[in-house]
Amino acid sequence: MTSGSENDYKAKLIACVKKEVKQVMEESVTKKFVHEESGSVTSLCGAVEACLSQGLRRRALGLFKTSSTTALLHKIAKHNSDAAVISKKVIELENLDPNRRSSSSSDSTTKPVLMKNMSLQNVNLLPKYLWIRLALFEKQLSRIIDYLVANATRYYDKDALVADPDYGSILSSLLVGPCALDYSRTKTADHFWTDPPADELLQRHRISSSHSTPPPVRRPIPNFRRSLNTSSEDSSSRCTTQHIAKDYVESLHQNSRATLLFGKNNVLVSPPKAGHTEPMPGYLSLHQTANCLTIKWTPNQLMNGFTESDVPDKSIYWDYAIQVRLDEVVYVHCHQDIETGGTVILVGQDGVQRPPIHFPKGGHMLAFLNCLETGLLPHGRLDPPLWSQQSCTARNSKRKRPLPSLVEENEPKDFVFRIVDSSNHKEISVKRHDLMNRNYVTTKVRAQLGSSSTSSESSTKSFSIDQNGVGDGTSNVCIKAVCDSMKRQIISRAFYGWLAYCRHLSTVRTHLSGLVHGTIITGDTAKDGLTQEKWCELYVDGVLQHADEVYKLTYFGGVAHDLRKDVWPYLLGHYKFGSTLAQRDELSEQTKQAYETTMSEWLAVEAIVKQRDKETQANAIAKLSSESTSGEQVPPQIQRDLSNDVFEDISDYEFDSNDDTDEDKPKRPKKTKQNTVIYDGSDEDRRKLSLEQESAEVANLHLNEESRNNNIEDNDKKFIGNVIVTNPSVDMSNILVECQRKSSLRAVTEEGTSLDTLDCIETHGLVSPARSACVSPASSNGGVYSTELLETFGLNLHRIEKDVQRCDRNYWYFTGDNLDKLRNVMCTYVWEHLDIGYMQGMCDLVAPLLVIFNDESLTYACFCHLMERMVENFPNGNAMDCHFANMRSLIQILDSEMYELMHSHGDYTHFYFCYRWFLLDFKRELVYNDVFAFWEVIWAAQQVASSHYVLFLALALLEIYRDIILSNSMDFTDIIKFFNEMAERHDAQEVLRIARELVLQLQLLIENK
Amino acid sequence: MSARVNMRPANKNTLLKVVILGDGGVGKSCLMNRFVSNHFDEHSFHTIGVEFLNKDIEIDNENYTLQIWDTAGQERFKTLRTPFYRGSDICMLTYAIDDKSSFRNMNMWKNEFLYYADIKENTYFPFIVVGNKSDVLVEEREVSQLELETWCNENGIASCIETSAKSASNVQEAFKMAVQHWLRAEIRADRTECTYSDTVDLNKKQSDSRSSCCTGASED
Repeated sequence: MTSGSENDYKAKLIACVKKEVKQVMEESVTKKFVHEESGSVTSLCGAVEACLSQGLRRRALGLFKTSSTTALLHKIAKHNSDAAVISKKVIELENLDPNRRSSSSSDSTTKPVLMKNMSLQNVNLLPKYLWIRLALFEKQLSRIIDYLVANATRYYDKDALVADPDYGSILSSLLVGPCALDYSRTKTADHFWTDPPADELLQRHRISSSHSTPPPVRRPIPNFRRSLNTSSEDSSSRCTTQHIAKDYVESLHQNSRATLLFGKNNVLVSPPKAGHTEPMPGYLSLHQTANCLTIKWTPNQLMNGFTESDVPDKSIYWDYAIQVRLDEVVYVHCHQDIETGGTVILVGQDGVQRPPIHFPKGGHMLAFLNCLETGLLPHGRLDPPLWSQQSCTARNSKRKRPLPSLVEENEPKDFVFRIVDSSNHKEISVKRHDLMNRNYVTTKVRAQLGSSSTSSESSTKSFSIDQNGVGDGTSNVCIKAVCDSMKRQIISRAFYGWLAYCRHLSTVRTHLSGLVHGTIITGDTAKDGLTQEKWCELYVDGVLQHADEVYKLTYFGGVAHDLRKDVWPYLLGHYKFGSTLAQRDELSEQTKQAYETTMSEWLAVEAIVKQRDKETQANAIAKLSSESTSGEQVPPQIQRDLSNDVFEDISDYEFDSNDDTDEDKPKRPKKTKQNTVIYDGSDEDRRKLSLEQESAEVANLHLNEESRNNNIEDNDKKFIGNVIVTNPSVDMSNILVECQRKSSLRAVTEEGTSLDTLDCIETHGLVSPARSACVSPASSNGGVYSTELLETFGLNLHRIEKDVQRCDRNYWYFTGDNLDKLRNVMCTYVWEHLDIGYMQGMCDLVAPLLVIFNDESLTYACFCHLMERMVENFPNGNAMDCHFANMRSLIQILDSEMYELMHSHGDYTHFYFCYRWFLLDFKRELVYNDVFAFWEVIWAAQQVASSHYVLFLALALLEIYRDIILSNSMDFTDIIKFFNEMAERHDAQEVLRIARELVLQLQLLIENK
Repeated sequence: MSARVNMRPANKNTLLKVVILGDGGVGKSCLMNRFVSNHFDEHSFHTIGVEFLNKDIEIDNENYTLQIWDTAGQERFKTLRTPFYRGSDICMLTYAIDDKSSFRNMNMWKNEFLYYADIKENTYFPFIVVGNKSDVLVEEREVSQLELETWCNENGIASCIETSAKSASNVQEAFKMAVQHWLRAEIRADRTECTYSDTVDLNKKQSDSRSSCCTGASED
């Protein structure tokens, strides 16, 4: 190397460090922190490593290993305290890792231990550039480099970068900045953006899941990089291609430069350089690059720690790795053996045998030969051909063999295959071979002939390359060959494409046709949604016609915010399309009355519950103050009052072996004694109640809160001890004649149903107190509530209270009165559906409706409609499992890469990260305005495109972040965390757009059958 | 070869999975948020499904990363919650000191955890009991410290503490205590594991043989 180029090189190294430092510093400014695993940190460490290894006096220092900078660190540790600290840490870390030994350990020459069945999965890798990384995080790096620069003469050649008077100090001062940063270890959403690109991780992933079969998709091969020298001692070459080991490993995978045709692990080979006869297990792979087919074999030891090039005692394994170019091979000898899987020996042009490749059992040798034959096509072939049917038609096949026996393995036989260039221009081919080293163009042509990419794209490329060589006489033949090959490739590709498509379609048909509507409705004219103008067109004389148009406009463009109040009841099915204003007014009136009646019912019960709670609390506090012993000795009454949810599913207690039941048993007899509480009304109370109701009727405003509040106060004041009095339904009937009939009817049915429910639940044999036999029909004046009813509703009230108080409190709407409205709607629903009971998440579903309508009874009615669909998502329903199963199928069809990733993490099948999405129709994932937009589209989609639109929204959300998910190879915990952190930060319109596209995509797929 | 292995280099911190359990509204999420981000939201939402956050903590010059799992408190959401118990290192049982029933339900939570976390019978597991909302007025208190201690004694739980996520009182301490407690359990388990160890503490119970090398922390 001349000193000029030497200098250029050093300048380049420094520039590289400078760039990476800048990157890290920028990251720290923009994100306020830099993650330890950030890609920029790795690049920086790589750049530093390159500088430090340039011109290192390996020989003089006795550093012969690839990771000589680590060795250097250990060396200077004796003289420098900073380095000593890091050196100690490095050794500690390396010792933690069973798969590697410290780079400074002296036993690196010991024979490698043969490790069988090494799983690639469970290896915990230390990061690259470990010591530099540690030094950086410990803020010692610049000081260590300072030391190196100061003592450069001892460790570096005199023309090394570190020894250079300028560059050396520049290097150490560059690193002062990064050394001042604090590096974070916590993963955050931001951090995900800086991790390695998706492609790389995907490629690696692909190989891990498909060892024995070639991947279905073959990539075009755009360019070729030099094949890797696996035992590089020359560190300057490391500087130009920094990640040799990484590249090598990548080269074992399907990647942008080479197609993987075959891969099999635990193939035994005795590497010639290993010097011992015992065959070692390793990974055998067949790669197709633009130039040729290559057979590679890599010892398992390297596969396990493959990103770590810088472990010295692994470096011997790099020597063992074998690469054979198929165009150097003439004969393939196959030896079959019943006991083993067979052996393949490759014989080169020079007549030299390559080391035998021993396949494990299970037809792997045959698979390998198959792949080899496929890979050789169309320009080369095996002679005789592998397939018997071909051998019948094959021209010039002199050595016909009973090939089926190869497949059946009945009787071990040996075969010899010759690799032939099938272009029948052997002389030219030989000639070309002679020319190879001299004529670049011809080499390329020859290379193209060796290749057989199935991609038409790459064929086109090779064709254009060949045209460059037209001047050469020999290439005419080649062009013809290339054209032929193109033809064949196009046809075969078309066929395989069609085949794959058919399979795909059958999956779609079996799993997914029910998810979308068959008829495709296009929305070209509906992009703007339901605007005021459209509304005026559609809403004529108080009648909203054209349901289809409303749904379509909503689906494709949403509803103008001011119109939501009017349109949503239609979308939810509360108002009927075509109904007149008068009809709707009547409906509203009915709704309102029914709502108020129901409310008065539960308000009465609430009053009782509150009173009981008060007593209980008083008891508890009294007890607390006088308490001296264990918490288990609470009076049984309190214990009962506070016991578990009566509606608890029976299965919940299966495991609850003894504790709870034992605890319950003694309670029972006591409970039965006071199972019934009869509430007898005093006249004054009734009068007061009716007065309240009356005045509220008149005021027609906030009736329910007032009545409730007053009711409670009233009760609180009046009720003494255990006797609680009320009979709201009768009181109500005094006020409204119309209401009278209905409400008393309701009261009866209500009581009937709730008791039925309780009965039926009790038969499950739950925490069950003895059955109540208590409803006394005789008490015509007073409402009779079973203890169970009171307890159940009380528990629900307790929960609702807690959850309403913390529902959307950051949204302006939810304060004071409006929280009470939310609570009223919630309690009314639960009272009417005591069998369902309150479940967390219901409040979330009421809230947006209430914000839009700001009207309790309308909200309640619409909420009931909404719940018809949503209730199935809650724990007692089964919709959630269906959603998860459908998600699985959808991902399989619409994003196979994602599916592959999810499939590899078994946990993904749970799809728990979608749980909240489906439970609440994405309500917690979005800000309020976006929730509105999502919800109305979900409702409209039922009519327009899909009754399972939520699935497509979920899929769209995944798609938006798919690169992040894929590139980080996130498992389900990562995804849960990621989406929890991303809540309310999504681009709702984009998600909606993608979801619509996905629906259309699936519709088209199905339609095409 | 899982790619994520490469993404996550050997962490010098020990990763501990902490599950917080307890009735709805006792302040599980608030405890977590106070601990992780020293932030308290009076009106924070009830948790749907599960959430988790990570937090680094240093104890006795050792760094730990706590992966704290917050769960939905309503009993019915059990099927969603229980799969996450597996592989836990620490379980934090919580109740609110102004809510007797939440205290009483700890039995249920403890049993549910032991069952679904697949803890072998008679194996020691580091529970910690946390009585939250210690900021409430004296007259609102429904569970006394004595009751708490009694319950813990009866259930063989060594650590309990009263906290307030609202006033930030004892929250850091609670998590610290949990880790120290875990550590003691680990050391005890280690003793039974280590064969090369010269000293054997004959007084220590030898049954707590929770293997130290596969706590599940590294997998999760």
